[in-house]
Amino acid sequence: MNAAEVILMAVRVWGYIGAGVAVLFLTFGIDRIDEDARGAYVFRPLLIPGILVIWPLVLWRWYVYETGREVWSERYDPPRKSHFAVGLILPIGIILIIATGLMIRQTWPADFQPVQLSAPSGETQ
Amino acid sequence: MSNRNSPFFVGYLPLPAGLRQWLLVVCVLFIGGLAGVGLTMGVAQDDPGPGAFRFDYGRQTVTGVIELTPYPLVRVTEGNDRIMPGTTLMLSGQGKSSVDQRAVPLEGQLSQVSGVVLQRGTLNMLQLRGGANGLSAVEGVAPEQSTEPLGRWRLAGEICDGKCLAGAMRPGTGLAHKACANLCLIGGVPPVFVSSQPVDGSEFLLITGPDGSALPKSLYDHVGAYITIEGDVERRGDVLVFRADPESVGVPG
Repeated sequence: MNAAEVILMAVRVWGYIGAGVAVLFLTFGIDRIDEDARGAYVFRPLLIPGILVIWPLVLWRWYVYETGREVWSERYDPPRKSHFAVGLILPIGIILIIATGLMIRQTWPADFQPVQLSAPSGETQ
Repeated sequence: MSNRNSPFFVGYLPLPAGLRQWLLVVCVLFIGGLAGVGLTMGVAQDDPGPGAFRFDYGRQTVTGVIELTPYPLVRVTEGNDRIMPGTTLMLSGQGKSSVDQRAVPLEGQLSQVSGVVLQRGTLNMLQLRGGANGLSAVEGVAPEQSTEPLGRWRLAGEICDGKCLAGAMRPGTGLAHKACANLCLIGGVPPVFVSSQPVDGSEFLLITGPDGSALPKSLYDHVGAYITIEGDVERRGDVLVFRADPESVGVPG
């Protein structure tokens, strides 16, 4: 299995698990943790693509609500506290990635002269 | 509550005086920084080269002999104002597709080809029209076409797909184009090796497997990277065919 096949397999497995989470959450879970969703069904298929991608977060939030550990004000604390650090790390990281890419990229072998290893007759030069 | 007198920005209210200088500095740095990064990335890019679809030529129709290398070529015998007799054209289909199914039955026969030219320096490719409008046999005896062996060579350069390189994409070379090039090669578009310096007058060589087979899949991993590689070169009209040995791949020193 080459690198591309490994990546494709990983994406598939992620998607299959996400599909399972979507089925469970949209049929049972959402009614248990969101009273406003009870009796509403048409919008639920619209959530499937998102759940396929961020199913670990969906499971975590479901667990937090189910266990009664949800404190709504604390939900916004981590993003607030990390704003400054992320705001610095993100642009610096982007610049570093671009700079690293530019530094390690190959140089066109403009000076390499084609070498004739043998003449058409098979005679080695 | 912290200091009630510290300035606080609210989007729909006038800007507090204490924040004007700060906002001005941020704006200048932000806009200047973006412009600087954009300029740096722009000038760091390689020149995509002069390749292009020659729609300005209009549809071109010529007659010639079909050859398989195994990638199909047409050795032009009756040309026009744009494509002279003696020219060798590589052939491709629409998009990332080959014309092998149409060309194989016509191998060695006199045929008429019609389509749009892609041109980059000495590299010429014809994107054929669909079906028999693009490629069909014509009456007449196919003249004998010569093939001139040029010996075994070690070259440095890059494997590309001939269509994007000739002008279908800009850039049609380099790592940024690797995935596109590999899709073209999987589709059967003729692969081309761009040599660091000309071989017998041409820096573009149609590259195949060592025994005249299609490009080995093991070489797909090297597409878009700068490599050295050995193989036999032969001239077919104004196209060089490079029968590359995949075991000889190296890194330019």
